[in-house]
Amino acid sequence: MRSKLIYIIFAVGVLMAAILLAIILAENVPNSGGVAHPDLPGLQIGGDGAARMENIGTLGLAFHFLLLVQIVLLSVLGISERYRSIELLACMGGSLALMLLVAWQMYSGHQQFLETGETDYFLGFPTATAWATYGTWLAAIPHVVIYTWGFRKYIYTPEDQQKYEALLKEKSKRSEQ
Amino acid sequence: MEAFRQEIIVGAVVVYMVFCVVTGLWAMRRTHNSSDFFIAGRGLGPIVVALALFSSTLSGFGFVGGPGLVYSIGVSSFWMVVISSTGYAIGFFLVAKRIRMIAELRDCISLPDVVAARYGSQAVRFMIAITIVLGVMGYLATQILAMAVVMQAILSGTEMFANIGLVTCVVISSAVLIFYCVTGGIIASVYTDVVQGAIMIVAGTLILFTAMNVFDGGMQEATSIILADDGEAAMPYGAAGIMASLGWFFVFGLGLAGQPHLITKMMMNKNMSDNRTILPMSLFGYVMAALLWISIGIVMRAAVIDGVVPPLALPDDAASVFLSVFANPLLAGVVFAGLFAAIMSTSDAFLNIGTAAIIHDIPKAIRGKSVENELFWARVVTVILAIVAASFALYSHFQDATLVAILGAFGWGTFAASIFPVVAVGLNWKGATVAGAVTAISAALLINFVSQLAGFTFPYGVSGQLVAFVASMVLFIGVSLVTKKPVLDSDIDRMMDI
Repeated sequence: MRSKLIYIIFAVGVLMAAILLAIILAENVPNSGGVAHPDLPGLQIGGDGAARMENIGTLGLAFHFLLLVQIVLLSVLGISERYRSIELLACMGGSLALMLLVAWQMYSGHQQFLETGETDYFLGFPTATAWATYGTWLAAIPHVVIYTWGFRKYIYTPEDQQKYEALLKEKSKRSEQ
Repeated sequence: MEAFRQEIIVGAVVVYMVFCVVTGLWAMRRTHNSSDFFIAGRGLGPIVVALALFSSTLSGFGFVGGPGLVYSIGVSSFWMVVISSTGYAIGFFLVAKRIRMIAELRDCISLPDVVAARYGSQAVRFMIAITIVLGVMGYLATQILAMAVVMQAILSGTEMFANIGLVTCVVISSAVLIFYCVTGGIIASVYTDVVQGAIMIVAGTLILFTAMNVFDGGMQEATSIILADDGEAAMPYGAAGIMASLGWFFVFGLGLAGQPHLITKMMMNKNMSDNRTILPMSLFGYVMAALLWISIGIVMRAAVIDGVVPPLALPDDAASVFLSVFANPLLAGVVFAGLFAAIMSTSDAFLNIGTAAIIHDIPKAIRGKSVENELFWARVVTVILAIVAASFALYSHFQDATLVAILGAFGWGTFAASIFPVVAVGLNWKGATVAGAVTAISAALLINFVSQLAGFTFPYGVSGQLVAFVASMVLFIGVSLVTKKPVLDSDIDRMMDI
């Protein structure tokens, strides 16, 4: 499965393209991309959020989930195949689970607000927006940690360094000749 | 202190510009050849690369257009900012190691050099170089115009320069930019980036605290006001809706690894292992500086809705009005210096890659070799490029905005769609072919260009940039899979195994 990674990335890309096409072809609702504020020039409003989400809400969520999956798959692509261990894939899987959780929390929080018109606040923002603002930022931090702490284990190991230095030596020998 | 507000702001900007000139003179003594001029001889430390990387990411758009977008469409534009952690991580996973290795292995001094080495194709080199030159013209023209407009606004507030014209401001600001770019090349550019980055971090942090004190109830009161006016604007997908927001997530998140002015900086560090510290440092800097983007936009939207401030003539006025109404003059001085820093740090990066494309890559793609005496011609072309971009900017402002708008189509989204698959994926997958690369670049340029020129809009806030990016990714992999597997040069093949 690990050597077939590019096929999985391709399949996810095709699925995303299909969802995008379905959204573009879906029945449009008025002002689906926002509309000018009735009183204040320069401002846009979203208006009826429930109507905007009715036709494409699920497709939008699916697109978001696939995008997060694609991000993790591409990150794994950046790691040499021989280092794609179960341990690494488990770390990446955990990172993906966190990102999916954040995406679900903001989506479901938004849906809940559309149904009730009420929301709690967290650190200055409505809860669903706080998930988007802080959650999206923080959910990728495990990725950064995997790169930084796992640098000599997964990204550029001592063995890699030796191989690379050997390549450079061969290059300098060739240029001397 | 309030009585001297304009003088303090002008003083801060003048001090910053003098620093840029002095850095240019200092760097000139360290610039001996074209490798020094374009990639600093691959000898930079991790702090310098980290600050240069993030300050080049956050252009004048982040300090002017960003707050304006939050003011205009609410939380939707947060998505351009909050994906930064994902974007930087992807950039480092996919690009940082391999671009640094290939640059040293093949003595590459530009991104088209890297692409030509990877694919063994002058056609791919030529297409990437042309994309860069067109993008550079659009970016530079808009950045120079933004710099001049801000300078005019600052100087016209003083008695001495009350009637200063826009042309004069273009000349002054471009002269400083050209001076340090020509004398010190990328060395001057990255060392000014270090100070520019530091100013931006300080400005972002101070602005957040100022913004939190505008309303008695802090940020929560501001978002409550916005929510009461329009629920969607304060909710996670903002006024523009879910697909506009996710489109920005895609284009700004993944697309960061396709920006030539950023990934070129990943070729410049001295030690490969520095990448492990460059990533968190760049991310930290970006997050701190971007606090300005979010906090000014939210507070200004709430202030206008609440009647504290009259509606702005233009959304892009959000930052300057915020500074004049709510900020201490000293803070305003720091932020205006930060604004110039943001604009110049991006402009110098674009001048550098544009010059490399013109004197190094396009000649190499056409006749197989670069120009003689590269360093001399690099300096000459840097001046010419900046003058042409400034002329475009003025022509666009006074005569016809179409020209810069057309070139502006070759912005972030076009770079993302045309360069990300070819570079970020191509450097990590041996099966990527020339046909796949040419198809992806062509499709990205075509879709972006047609959708921008025709003013075509998709429903639900789906952008042409998103469509172009998704299409180019699928085409790149799909065409590569069905075309003959390439035979790579031995050193590239072994490098890609590392």
